[in-house]
Amino acid sequence: MVQRSPLHKIHEKLGAKFTVFMGNEMPLYFTSIKDEHLTVRKAVGLFDVSHMCNVMVKGKDAEKLMSIATVENASRIPEFMSQYTVILREDGTIIDDTIFYHLPDGYLLIPNAGMGKVVANWLNEKAREYGLDAKAQDLSRDYVILAIQGPRSREVLQELTDVDLSSLKLFEFTIAKVNGVDCILSRTGYTGELGYELQITPPQNAIKLFERILEVGKNYGIKPIGLGARDTLRLEKCFVLACNEFEGGRTPLEAGLAFTINWDHDFIGKEALLRQKEKGDYERLTCLKCIEKGVPRHGCKVEKEGKVVGKVSSGTLSPSLNVGIALAYMKPEYRSIGEVVDIVIREKRVKAEVVKPPFVKKG
Amino acid sequence: MGKEVRDDLRYTKTHEWVKVKDKVAVVGITDYAQGELTDIVYVELPEVGKEFKKGEEMCTLESIKSVAEVYAPISGKILKVNKSLEDSPEKINESPYEEGWIVEMEIKDEKELDDLLSPEDYRKIIS
Repeated sequence: MVQRSPLHKIHEKLGAKFTVFMGNEMPLYFTSIKDEHLTVRKAVGLFDVSHMCNVMVKGKDAEKLMSIATVENASRIPEFMSQYTVILREDGTIIDDTIFYHLPDGYLLIPNAGMGKVVANWLNEKAREYGLDAKAQDLSRDYVILAIQGPRSREVLQELTDVDLSSLKLFEFTIAKVNGVDCILSRTGYTGELGYELQITPPQNAIKLFERILEVGKNYGIKPIGLGARDTLRLEKCFVLACNEFEGGRTPLEAGLAFTINWDHDFIGKEALLRQKEKGDYERLTCLKCIEKGVPRHGCKVEKEGKVVGKVSSGTLSPSLNVGIALAYMKPEYRSIGEVVDIVIREKRVKAEVVKPPFVKKG
Repeated sequence: MGKEVRDDLRYTKTHEWVKVKDKVAVVGITDYAQGELTDIVYVELPEVGKEFKKGEEMCTLESIKSVAEVYAPISGKILKVNKSLEDSPEKINESPYEEGWIVEMEIKDEKELDDLLSPEDYRKIIS
């Protein structure tokens, strides 16, 4: 079954072209991917990201459950802070990556599209297994998530709320009224720009707010942004996309997410990660920038002197740089900065260079 | 968004347009097709002199999001390609019927032209 966003009618009115992503029919673009991409880099864009999920974890042992089921030590994260982390299976492979918000009465997780039930079920199963008093509930249908992203996002949002946005640190959040609507307002995002995300419940509260943000944002050059630009924006910053980068089962060490791991506590998958770390011969996610013309795509092979040394998990033409860029899982010996490899794009070999993340730096 | 269908052109179900000019067929993709693809970023043109049968893949267009093939609307040799698309593929988005033309083809069999769609029939397909 295909789910539609509570804002679907507004998107239609705005002329969206739709796509189905993980069972959700969402705007792919309104004007053009490139135009929307550059709008977010230079001014501000408004995204409906209702395809993402919401899972609430409550109970006396909620913090313990979060610590055991993610690579983060949740006791480290104070109230009104959020944290990016991953949920692992016992073998160290990633089930999902998520942000969790430490609310006064629990934790709100934002699993990826289509993952709400999977994550909630997994957490409940682990709570039972470890004898913890905590319960996870999939509330995805109760929330609309809006993201307002870009260098001018603060100015736009500030017109609609009394909260002093300049004092909100990265990953910090507050419960705020935005245009009179109660939201969880966080300084988070998936574009690498200054930006905010709003968790809104019940969903109908988001309808007027979405239109109001576009109205107020007009003076700042705001545009509605689809999933197409969301993908190119995150890829220029080397942020992973679960359905691409975790395909087939990947550990955080492989996926370039070692920075999320807090080794000082016990968590599901820890032993497997320690074993992998010691062995050290695993493939790692690597940034490739094309030197020749071509657009790498998901699934393209990477070769060195005719030998397969990797595989592209995400690729696109970077709208900011106007060259092909890719994230690829590469054998460790072929991923030093400056190494030149071939990406095989429809039987044609296109030369690409291993570069340091991100592809596009700030400003 | 772009849905212009010009009355002086013929069309295919696969969204190519054909203009007959001095016994040569100029070929491009329609306004509708460029709107569906958006942001064409790379064009792989065929070689001049290469011969295609009607319906064969002739050229590849890449947009940020996807890859699309252009099919030969008729049979014949490639006489000319629009080289400027290699550096400015966005011309197909901006001007699909003029500056964004893709190839000129020899018309090997004039009867094949009769199989092409009229503007009215093409409008029905995309409406």
